[in-house]
Amino acid sequence: MATQPLDRELKKGSAELLILSLVESRARHGYEISKLIEDRSQGTLSFRVASLYPLLYRLEARGWIQGRWVEKAGQRRRRFYKLTREGRTVLAAQRRGWQQFAEAIRRITGIEYA
Amino acid sequence: MPEWKQIIRERLQGSKLDGAREAEIVDELAQHLEDRYDALRSSGASESEARRQALEELNSSELLAEELRKLRRPDAPEPIGVPSKGAYFSGFASDVKLALRNIWTKPAFSLMVIGMLALGVAGNAAIFSIFNGLFLRPLPFPEAERLIDLDETAPKWNLHYTGVSNPDLYLWREHNSTFDGMAFFDNSSFNLSDHGTAQRVAGAAVTYDLLKVLGVKPLLGRNFLPEEDRPKGPHVVLLGYNLWQRMFRGDRDVLGLVLKLDNESYTVIGVLPPEAVFPDRAEIWVPLGVDRDPAKSTGWYLNGLGRLKRGVSAEHAEADLLRVHKAMIKSGWKDNEITSPILTPLRDRYLGDFRMVSRILLGGVAVVLLIACVNIAALMLVRGGARAREIAIRTAIGASRGRVVRQLLTENLVLAVAGGAVGVLLGKLCLVGMISLMPADNLPRWIDFAMDARFAAFCVAITGTAALLFGLAPAVQSSKVDARGALQDSGVRASLSRARRGTLRALVVSEIALALVLSVGAGLLVEAFQKVLHVDPGFRPENVITFGINLPDVKYKEDVQRVAFFEKLLDRLRAVPGVKSVGAATATPLGGHWGNFWEAEDNPPLSMNDKNPVTLQVVATPGYFEAIGMTFLAGRPFTEEEAQPKHIRTAVVNETFAKHYWNGASPIGKRIRHTGGTRKPTDWIEVVGLTRDEKHYGLEQEMKPGVFLPLPQIPVNWMNIVLRGSLDPQMLIPPAREILRDLDADIPMYEVRTMTERLDDSLWARRAYSWLFAAFAVTALLLAAAGIYGVVSYAVGQRTQEIGIRMALGAQPGQVLREVLGSGMVLVSIGLAVGLVGAFWAVRLLQSLLFGVSSRDPVIYAAVVLGVAAVGLLANFVPARRAASIDPMRALHFE
Repeated sequence: MATQPLDRELKKGSAELLILSLVESRARHGYEISKLIEDRSQGTLSFRVASLYPLLYRLEARGWIQGRWVEKAGQRRRRFYKLTREGRTVLAAQRRGWQQFAEAIRRITGIEYA
Repeated sequence: MPEWKQIIRERLQGSKLDGAREAEIVDELAQHLEDRYDALRSSGASESEARRQALEELNSSELLAEELRKLRRPDAPEPIGVPSKGAYFSGFASDVKLALRNIWTKPAFSLMVIGMLALGVAGNAAIFSIFNGLFLRPLPFPEAERLIDLDETAPKWNLHYTGVSNPDLYLWREHNSTFDGMAFFDNSSFNLSDHGTAQRVAGAAVTYDLLKVLGVKPLLGRNFLPEEDRPKGPHVVLLGYNLWQRMFRGDRDVLGLVLKLDNESYTVIGVLPPEAVFPDRAEIWVPLGVDRDPAKSTGWYLNGLGRLKRGVSAEHAEADLLRVHKAMIKSGWKDNEITSPILTPLRDRYLGDFRMVSRILLGGVAVVLLIACVNIAALMLVRGGARAREIAIRTAIGASRGRVVRQLLTENLVLAVAGGAVGVLLGKLCLVGMISLMPADNLPRWIDFAMDARFAAFCVAITGTAALLFGLAPAVQSSKVDARGALQDSGVRASLSRARRGTLRALVVSEIALALVLSVGAGLLVEAFQKVLHVDPGFRPENVITFGINLPDVKYKEDVQRVAFFEKLLDRLRAVPGVKSVGAATATPLGGHWGNFWEAEDNPPLSMNDKNPVTLQVVATPGYFEAIGMTFLAGRPFTEEEAQPKHIRTAVVNETFAKHYWNGASPIGKRIRHTGGTRKPTDWIEVVGLTRDEKHYGLEQEMKPGVFLPLPQIPVNWMNIVLRGSLDPQMLIPPAREILRDLDADIPMYEVRTMTERLDDSLWARRAYSWLFAAFAVTALLLAAAGIYGVVSYAVGQRTQEIGIRMALGAQPGQVLREVLGSGMVLVSIGLAVGLVGAFWAVRLLQSLLFGVSSRDPVIYAAVVLGVAAVGLLANFVPARRAASIDPMRALHFE
């Protein structure tokens, strides 16, 4: 289990980016976000309630996403989160940063291989 | 389906979220678990497997709680420690929402709190409006605090204010170094005639610079010129704003118009702005034009008004004027030896008498509000006990103590705002009522009781203070609820802690004490009022009506003309059916003062500057004494014959005069004369009658020595006609008006009033504050009674089970009654004792209003103590009887 701390750090660093990306195109509720992360990462990444929601609330408190209760006919009410204008700026910056980081890693790890 | 919410709530313990936020989170997480559960089920998992897996989501829920707790403190980018505005207000809004819900669920309690607070606030709002109007609202002049009343004082003449003399006017004005300006005026009134109808209009003769000193400019036209302000100057007039609106409908062409004032022509040169409210009531200003020659001085009669230089104090200015005043003595103006300048802030000169009374009323009404707050605090404490369970639950699910206090304070604030609003509305109503009771003539017209920012601030302040007073202690105490204890208790009737019971007792004691202090004060004031009412006025006011007549000098130039006019008028009036007697005098009782200096033949002659109290001098017709209803102690009125000029000169004096000059010996046949002041004394006049003092200055005022002289000897041009009727004297006015018009259509009848009205009006202030104070005391007593009743009822409710058991074991109802009553009356007695000490100390403030009633009057103290004790007993008795009628079986089954 030696990889676990690294795992956690990576997840923590990337989690914000993941969530902001997922609500970029449209508003989503918490379960949907966790499902999408799990599905799209094919099970590599998964967020449980205990870590997902505090993160959502924190992003909301910072004003990057905004949650709103939505009631649809025949369904229980859910809280949908959408990206705010400020969140959009943050997302763009984080994307750039992450791409540079990933590029740097690739270069380093690629050279080692060569 | 598993109870997700319940499970999540348990896991969230320790996150210390506020209620509304917590509910949202629970909702959201439950939805998540539910979605997960459904997904697992539809992928084929069994119910228990799906449930197990869904719950795994909550694993490491300490982490969740921990994370959520961190969230309570917002992260960057907001500055640390300051909640964002939105969060703060949404928190407050949800507090208010919750508060409204709580208030709504207990309508009786809430109405009681709002009602009691409204009662307290209403009184304060009304009294404060009056205090504000009288003393706080600035006068409508720029830098009004620099305006100061100028007058002279002569203690040796028993006169606090003598008025300013003509020579002083000029020399003060020229030689002072502390005033930017000084103006003087003499209140007077004019017959303003206009095509056959005449009216009496109040006016003032003013120095040319009065407008400048006040700091206002004419609305139309121009001010007086210095050269118009001289003896025998041009006849010019400034019209008051209201008169201009009333008579000329605001016509701007009024400039240059010629008016008939006292049968003389005056040219209108300007119109005063509405804010020229001083001199009070003056609607017409004419130049004063006094002679500066000391030889032509006509005594002390002018009112003065100065505008102090910036930064100069009244004391400094007074010392400066005294310097000028004394310097005049050195240059030979001996009159100034006895008088000296006296300076009073303008407002105090006219309203000073009301200052203490309004402070006392404010104090009294503040006590009522205090009692209301104490009552509400007691109610809240009791309710806090009942709410212990609710609070315990909220503490158990993570609400902090601060959070609970905040919620309780919000509730109090909402109640306070409601009570305050109702109170202010009620207060405005009271104010309207109180103002309608004030006789219009007794307060300067520039007083305005309308609402202003100061009033609003006061209402907000007292309501806020009240909310804190009645809310904080119970809130803090309530938040100390021991969660486990309260939850384990049977619940509904969570009992009060020992500390809280102690607080309740202290509240009851303080209510009784405060109510007693107010009641003693009210008792003394009402007693003093009764005493004043029973003062013998020295005349018989029933069925008497009076009115004023003023003959213009131009038309009635000769003495004989004036005397003849009055005699003819009185003769015609005497013949009116229903008239019993008729007379005339320059000043009826409560009708003003005209002073002069007299000396008696067998006493040493008095010089100008000897100590000599001023004497009230009344010029009257022989029939006056009979018409006004005065009593002769010796001698007789002067006769018609004696009243004729060139006859031997006679006079009537009053008791005080006889006491002063002859030590109370009979004055009949003795001789008196004017001291003459700076001029020669008059001839000796024989005293033919001695009357009982009429209370000329008011029932509670001291009488001055008085001399009555027959009209022809001093043929004045103004008289107050006195008609005594056999029935309602108002009926005599229409025929009298007819007669007057017949004699001279240009002469108006003014100040038509019955003597009973005058007497009533003279007492209005005392009547008003005495009864107001009594009303405060009654309110206080009722509030205190309600408070005791509430607390004792509550205590009995708490002890239902215990009393039931004791009665089941054989205790008699009488025993229970005595015991409950006894413990309640102990509190009442302590309250009475504390209140007595407080009353002894507090009523000293009332001393000057008590008119001879001792502030330690044992009868009043005893009556008030008994009365308050009786109210306390009654308030205790009702719940005590309920305790005694407890049915043991039902009480025991109550659980």
